[in-house]
Formats: sequence, C-alpha cells, structure tokens
Amino acid sequence: MGELTRITIDFQTSHLIFPTLVGGVLALLGLAILLTRWRGIVGAGGHWAGIWSQMDKPRLLGTVVLTVIYFSLMVPVGDVWPNRGFGFLICSIPYVFLTGLLFLHDRGWRDILPVAVMALIAPSLVWWTFTELFFLTLP
Amino acid sequence: MEILDIITPLFLALAVGGTFVGIVFGAIPGMTATMAIAVCLPLTYSLGLENGLALLLGLYVGGISGGLVPAILLGIPGTPSSITTTFDGYPMSQKGEGEKALRIGIIASLVGGLISLGILYFFAPVLADFAIRFSYVEKFLIILFALTVMAALSSDLLMGIFSGFLGIFISLIGVYDITDGGNGELRLIPPGLEYWLDGGFSLLPVLIGVFGLAAILEQAEVGVPKGQSMADVKIGRDSSFSFSIFRGQVGNLVRSSGIGTFVGILPGVGGSAASILSYSAAKTFSKTPERFGKGEPAGIVASESANNGLTGGALVPLLSLGIPGDAATAILIGAFTLQGIQVGPLFIGNNPQTWEAMVIAMIVANLAMFTMMYFAIRMFARVVTVPKHILFPIILMMCVIGAYTINYGIMFDVWTLLIFGLFGWLGVKLRLEIAPFVIGFILGPSAEIYFVKSLEAFGDATIFFTKSWIAVVLWVLILGSLTASVYLAKRGKGGEATP
Repeated sequence: MGELTRITIDFQTSHLIFPTLVGGVLALLGLAILLTRWRGIVGAGGHWAGIWSQMDKPRLLGTVVLTVIYFSLMVPVGDVWPNRGFGFLICSIPYVFLTGLLFLHDRGWRDILPVAVMALIAPSLVWWTFTELFFLTLP
Repeated sequence: MEILDIITPLFLALAVGGTFVGIVFGAIPGMTATMAIAVCLPLTYSLGLENGLALLLGLYVGGISGGLVPAILLGIPGTPSSITTTFDGYPMSQKGEGEKALRIGIIASLVGGLISLGILYFFAPVLADFAIRFSYVEKFLIILFALTVMAALSSDLLMGIFSGFLGIFISLIGVYDITDGGNGELRLIPPGLEYWLDGGFSLLPVLIGVFGLAAILEQAEVGVPKGQSMADVKIGRDSSFSFSIFRGQVGNLVRSSGIGTFVGILPGVGGSAASILSYSAAKTFSKTPERFGKGEPAGIVASESANNGLTGGALVPLLSLGIPGDAATAILIGAFTLQGIQVGPLFIGNNPQTWEAMVIAMIVANLAMFTMMYFAIRMFARVVTVPKHILFPIILMMCVIGAYTINYGIMFDVWTLLIFGLFGWLGVKLRLEIAPFVIGFILGPSAEIYFVKSLEAFGDATIFFTKSWIAVVLWVLILGSLTASVYLAKRGKGGEATP
C-alpha cells in the first residue's frame, strides 16, 4: 500500500501535475453530467430556440458589436497621440452615446439630448480624473 | 494615536461617499454591490490601501443595504440578497406603509451590520491565529472544503462542482510561476497565444467581466427594461413609524444577524441564501406565521438583518484564511493585490493598521448608511427611477478603465473583460454556477502550490488524509457537506448560491 501511494515529483514536469489532475476531474464530472442529463442535453434545442426568440437581439448583439469596435479602435486612435489617453476619450464619447441610444426606448430629441450630454461629460470627466488626477495610463 | 492617524478626513469622506454610491447601485434593480466594487476598484489605485478599502467597504455596505429600496417600493429586489425583503416589504408598500417598511429595513440593516462586525472583530483574529499552524496540506484541504461547500449550496451540486473545477482549470493557464516555487514552464496555452497568456488571465478583468459586463448583457438581452417613474413608487407619506415596532423583535434581529454572519463565513454562499434561511427561521419561530408574506414587519427585519450580517461574516474567511466569503469580497482581494499585500492567516498580525482601518471603515459605513437612508429615504426612493440607458454605458466605460489599468496598460486585459463578460452571460444559460467558478479561479493557483508542494515534501498521497487531526476534520466536513447536499437535493430542498 505504501508503494502504491508513494509519489515522486519530477521538477521539470511539475507544472503539468495539477492541470492534468484538474483536467481529469473535469472530464469525469463532464461525463457524469452527460450521463445524468443526457435527455435534457439532447432536447436542449428548444431551450436555446426559446432564448433566441425571446432575446432582444438588436440591443444585445448591438452592445457586443459596439463593444468590439470600441475596444478595437481605442489603441490605434490612442497611438496618434501617444501616452495622452486620447484613444480612450475619443472612442468613449461615441461609444457611450451609441450604447445609450441603443438602450433608449423612446428616441425623440428630448430623450436623446440627455444621452448626448452625458456622453460628452462622463468620458471627459473620467479621462481627466484618471490621467490628470491619478496619473494613470489610458490607451 | 495610531487610530487617529487612520481616521483622516479623506478616509471618512471615502467611507461615507462609498456608502452613498453603494446605496445608489443597490437601489437600482440590475445593479449590485459586487458591480459597484468592481467598477470603482480603479479609483483605489492612487488612494493607498487604507483609503482604498474605506471606499470599497463603504460601497459594499451601501450596496447590500440599498437593495431594500426597490424591494420594498417596487417588489423588485435591488440585489439578490433582498429577495425576501420583497415578500413583506412590497405588501406594506401597497398598503401605503412604504416609508415605515423602509425604516424598519434600515434599522434591521444597521443592527445586522454591527453584529456581524462584532463577530468579525473577535472571531477573525482567533481563526487566523489557528490557521497560522496550517501546513500546505491543511491549506489545500481548506480550499477543497470551500469549493465543496459552495458547490453543495449551489442549485445544482454537479454543475457547482464542475464550475468550481473549471474556474481552477482556467486559472492554471500560463506560467507555473517561479516565485511560487514553480519551474517557470508554460501550460494550457493555445498555440499562438503564448505572448498574451504568459501570465494567464488577470483576476480583475475576469471579475469585472463576469459581474459587470455580464450583468449589463443580461439587461440588454431583456431589452434594458424601462426605468420606473415616480408614479410607480408608493412611499406612503402618511405611514407612521415607531421604534415600538421592534418590541419583541430582539430575538429575530439577533438570530437573523447570526444566520447572515454564519452564511457569510461559508465561502461563496450569497446573501440570498442568508436572507432565505433567516426568513424561514423567523417564520418558523413566529407566533403568527400566517402573516408572513402579507406585510409582516418581522419578515423585513429577518431579511435585512441577515443580508447585512453577511457583510462582516464574508470578511472573516477572507482576512483569516485568504478565502473570499462572497463575490464582493472576492473583488476586495483585487484591492489587496494592487497594493502588493497577500490576505491570509498572517494578514491581521502583519498589518494591524490595515485591519483596524477596515473595522473602522465598516463602522463608519454602517453608521453612514443608517444616517443617510433613515433621514433621506425619500431621496433614495427616487434613485429607483434613474434611467438605465444613461447609467449602463457609463458603467461599461468604467469596466474598461478597471480592466486596462490593473496591469498599468495592457489591452489584452480589456479583451479578457469581454471574453469573461460573454462567458458570464452564456454560463448562466448553460447552468454553470458563477460563484464556485469565480472562487475556483481565485484559489486555483494557491491550490496548485499547496497540492504539489505537499507531494514534493512528503512524497506520499496519503499525507492528505494522515497529516494531522485537522486534515481528518476537514475531510469529515468535505464529505459531510457533499452528503448533506445530496440529501437536501433528494428532498427537493436544495439551497441557493448566488454571485
């Protein structure tokens, strides 16, 4: 019994021991989930179809798309004026405005105006606080 | 004198200001204390540890407390932990007793917060002193116990354990750090991503993603429901409040605060479990259980004292064992990490000033919460009408700041935020349990060190069972929590864990 439980750790491969063990446990748990819930998993098409049909697609997908564009543009724009944080400021203003517009329900001028004002004030204030007051680097 | 050094005007202003912002976050349905802390974390970069913690603890206490406002006035829990406050708070509001219900909830919140703070103050150092004796074996078993408790209290045991191990697995991506005794080799990195994932996924972008971005994606998915107008809010100007309402409620207050604190001490178990347990207990012990759910003040007392009791309780395992008690305290680990301080059994002994600062900040936050909410409750009632189409984009922007500045300007951390925001949103649909996942992610690297070093030192796998009587007790607790969970699941009375 003593021999069976004895373990020698090879330092060169010690980085793989725990990930392998955790991966093994995950595989076993995954198998247990498959075996105990296979009916639910096979019939999950309806569940996902329900989620898709009830989803507010323009708002959700619009948020994701706007966020991806926002993240993608921040660095290239910021590189035009290095170490000033202008990439964050210049990209955040339209991002906050467009996301706000996306989340609005009634889009009359009186509804859009506060969104526009906030889109100008909030990023400017945050940019000023972090770059000028806290001296933190922004893209 | 040292205490006076801590209590500077800035320290007080941050604790009070944090409490105010926390109440606002808590009062807006869809926004939580966890989100408030995640979003405001970057503000602490330049504040220093004590001042930064004053802000974050204020946000924590305020965020948990603010949830009672929409729970009572709209029947919508502002935070998950206020769910049982709706049971009696909203019926009272419908009867024109909204203000009275709010004041009952505020007082119960204060009592719950202070009782749990007392337990934190006396119990955390004792537990830390005890935990100092733990070797790597016991430390590994403590983490295993934390994960099994969380999984056991999840709505689905199997998915809870799976989520916890998934969190550990993802936390292992990257280098096996030499500074922790590793060999400096990379593992689990997909080809081509070595440059980005050399250090693995950073903790804070992951947390901000699953608690900040994911919450907004969930709101976007349901169309970002229109905010309520003041016409929907029935505060009940004519309702009279008297402290005599609390006559006969002392037992309920103490019991519920105790339950909340105890649940807080259990790692990863959310406030909703605390309030549900204490509400059930209050109903069981009540002479008039039939009144519960119809506007019974005792229901609000139980729910609110329990969820505020959580605040002190959740800090106990964090400060004595280095294991966060809930999602919000998990983010507090980020604040310590930013300042290069490791939380664990040595924390209180090595950082007495920070420990005292935390206790003082909690006292100030609780008193500020009471003063602000009790005397300006009508103003906070208006918060529930703040338009989300203005708030959410700003929160998204703040999430970016938090993720980008954590490692002083790495854009990959911002992408990590998006990846884990989408993961958090999708994970809920896949029935993954987010709380065990997050705690697994936080504790994974430590679990690896403790596990591998134990085997290196002793060279025998049985050491995890035979090292000491503490190891045996921990195994009994691990097996006990799993057995209890299976038993409860069979009886159809499984608990609940929430992020």
